[in-house]
Amino acid sequence: MKKVATPEYDIKDKLKYHVSALSTAAKEVVLPLNITTHYPRERKKMPDCFRGYILFDPERCISCFECSFVCPANAIWMKEAPSGRYYPTLDYGKCIFCHFCVDTCPGGALKQTKIHDVAYKDMDEMFTLTEEMIEPPEIIREDEGYVEYEIDKEDLSLKRTKGIDKLIVDVAPSQGVPMVSLCVEPESCLGCGICEGMCESGAVSSLKEDGMVRMKIDMDKCTGCGLCVKECSMQILRLVRK
Amino acid sequence: MIDINAIISTMMNNQVNIPLLQPLIEPLLGMPVIGYLIALILWKPFFVLILIPGFATMGIMLLILPWIERKMVARMQWRVGPREISPRTRGIVQLLADTLRFLFQEVIIHKDAHKLYFLQFPFLYFIPVLLPLLFINAGTAGNPLVPIQTDYALQIMVALISLMPVFILGVGWASNNRFAFIGTVREAFLYFAYEIPFIVIVLAMIVLYGTSNTVGVVNAQSGVWWGIIQNPLAALTFFIAMVMATARLPFDIPEADQEVSFGPFVEYSGIAFGLAYVMGYEKMYVLSAMMTMLFLGGGSGPEILGLGDLSCGIWFVLKTLIVLVIMVNLRGVYPRYRLDQGLRIGWGAMLILALVALGWSIVVMGVRL
Repeated sequence: MKKVATPEYDIKDKLKYHVSALSTAAKEVVLPLNITTHYPRERKKMPDCFRGYILFDPERCISCFECSFVCPANAIWMKEAPSGRYYPTLDYGKCIFCHFCVDTCPGGALKQTKIHDVAYKDMDEMFTLTEEMIEPPEIIREDEGYVEYEIDKEDLSLKRTKGIDKLIVDVAPSQGVPMVSLCVEPESCLGCGICEGMCESGAVSSLKEDGMVRMKIDMDKCTGCGLCVKECSMQILRLVRK
Repeated sequence: MIDINAIISTMMNNQVNIPLLQPLIEPLLGMPVIGYLIALILWKPFFVLILIPGFATMGIMLLILPWIERKMVARMQWRVGPREISPRTRGIVQLLADTLRFLFQEVIIHKDAHKLYFLQFPFLYFIPVLLPLLFINAGTAGNPLVPIQTDYALQIMVALISLMPVFILGVGWASNNRFAFIGTVREAFLYFAYEIPFIVIVLAMIVLYGTSNTVGVVNAQSGVWWGIIQNPLAALTFFIAMVMATARLPFDIPEADQEVSFGPFVEYSGIAFGLAYVMGYEKMYVLSAMMTMLFLGGGSGPEILGLGDLSCGIWFVLKTLIVLVIMVNLRGVYPRYRLDQGLRIGWGAMLILALVALGWSIVVMGVRL
């Protein structure tokens, strides 16, 4: 085992370090560096991939429940819309801003923003409904500039720029890999019809043949959400590339 | 029957000489009541004690020194410091705002505290703080600006300064709180650690100057032969003892916020806390003034044209301010010593340095004779 002993200094070293500490302090008093951001008057410039407030685009949602499944904090609940489809709601009281949901979303319906300073009156208000996730919250901008931290050779410094930093980033939503559901073992199908009940886009239909029920998946209608794959009691459905 | 004319003539014989303001003062002195008032204000002992470098200057220092400290330490640490209150003046009214807040806050005296002493001591502390100012000489060689001249001035000052920790001990005792007790015991430990080197240093300077009269002390530092040049070791040790005595970092062992949360003053709130908070700054001011007088040549300096005696006062306050600023800024440089380390420094290095400085003074004195 290696023991760490207190460093031994002689009086010369001690004086040297005292002088060095005092001269550094004096230098900083005369020519100080500054790393404080005067927050409401200026904002720190966040990177485009900043994990902030999450926006939702219902047009792209395929109701696959993936965001809800992946959420480690159990903050996303799927809620039934009047149309019968399920859309995510987000409880910001639970959200840990890991953005797994944004990364997982196959259709790119969830989108990150740089908004990080939303105020709520109470815990109930933090439960954000689908309708409220579509538009960004109302922001009162007092800032006239933004700051960026720059690391020089040895020191950190602050770069101030005039202008307003755009909080909602224009990144192309991920297209994902188009997938479809495929029955790999049609002979094992029980014809229970669970997949038909699950499917929200009406891609699965049943037809009777020779007294047996056969399921048929319409490849064009299938969004590849994978709900039927999860629910199939015989586990004979697979998600494959289109 | 009080002879008012005799009093006025006594005052008139010992007036502060400010050539620039003389045309303004002359007609005012002729007026009946205002004349007496002006004569009183310009009476040397009154002027020195009340205006410069006495109570008024101390009050202004108490208002701006915490601001200077916070601003400069913030610069060292890459922060901004007080800013939100009056951003145009860079937050200089911060302490005024704090004082207002303290004034309107409730003073909570908890059940177990000794009510009488708990409230008394922060006020009584002004006695040992303000009395040493009676002997401060802000003049130059041959032109003393001192309220009271006595041959035992330095001894009385040291005695009064040694009295200050007793009040802090009283505060800690009256608070009846565990943190206050710990802080008080630490204060008592440190008290002995710095007090002996401090007294030895003052003794060394008395030996060096051959007098303990503050007028003689400043007279002995004519020209560039300031105390700090005659005996630099003594100046260094006095400075360290001063930092220790006022419980500033790196020796803020009794008040360590993170350990015992302001030590003896932990139970104070409202304006009582405000008073306890400025206690340290008052002591700092008195000790810095003493250092300026003992080591930095009092009010000596190139005379500012047309200001006469006021020029001495300005130089004195300026030097005191420099000492104060160096002292408060140690906060941004050094971390806090442990109690045992502080005691080792006090009883070890500082005592040895003080004794060496005393020897130095004796040798210099011997050579001179």
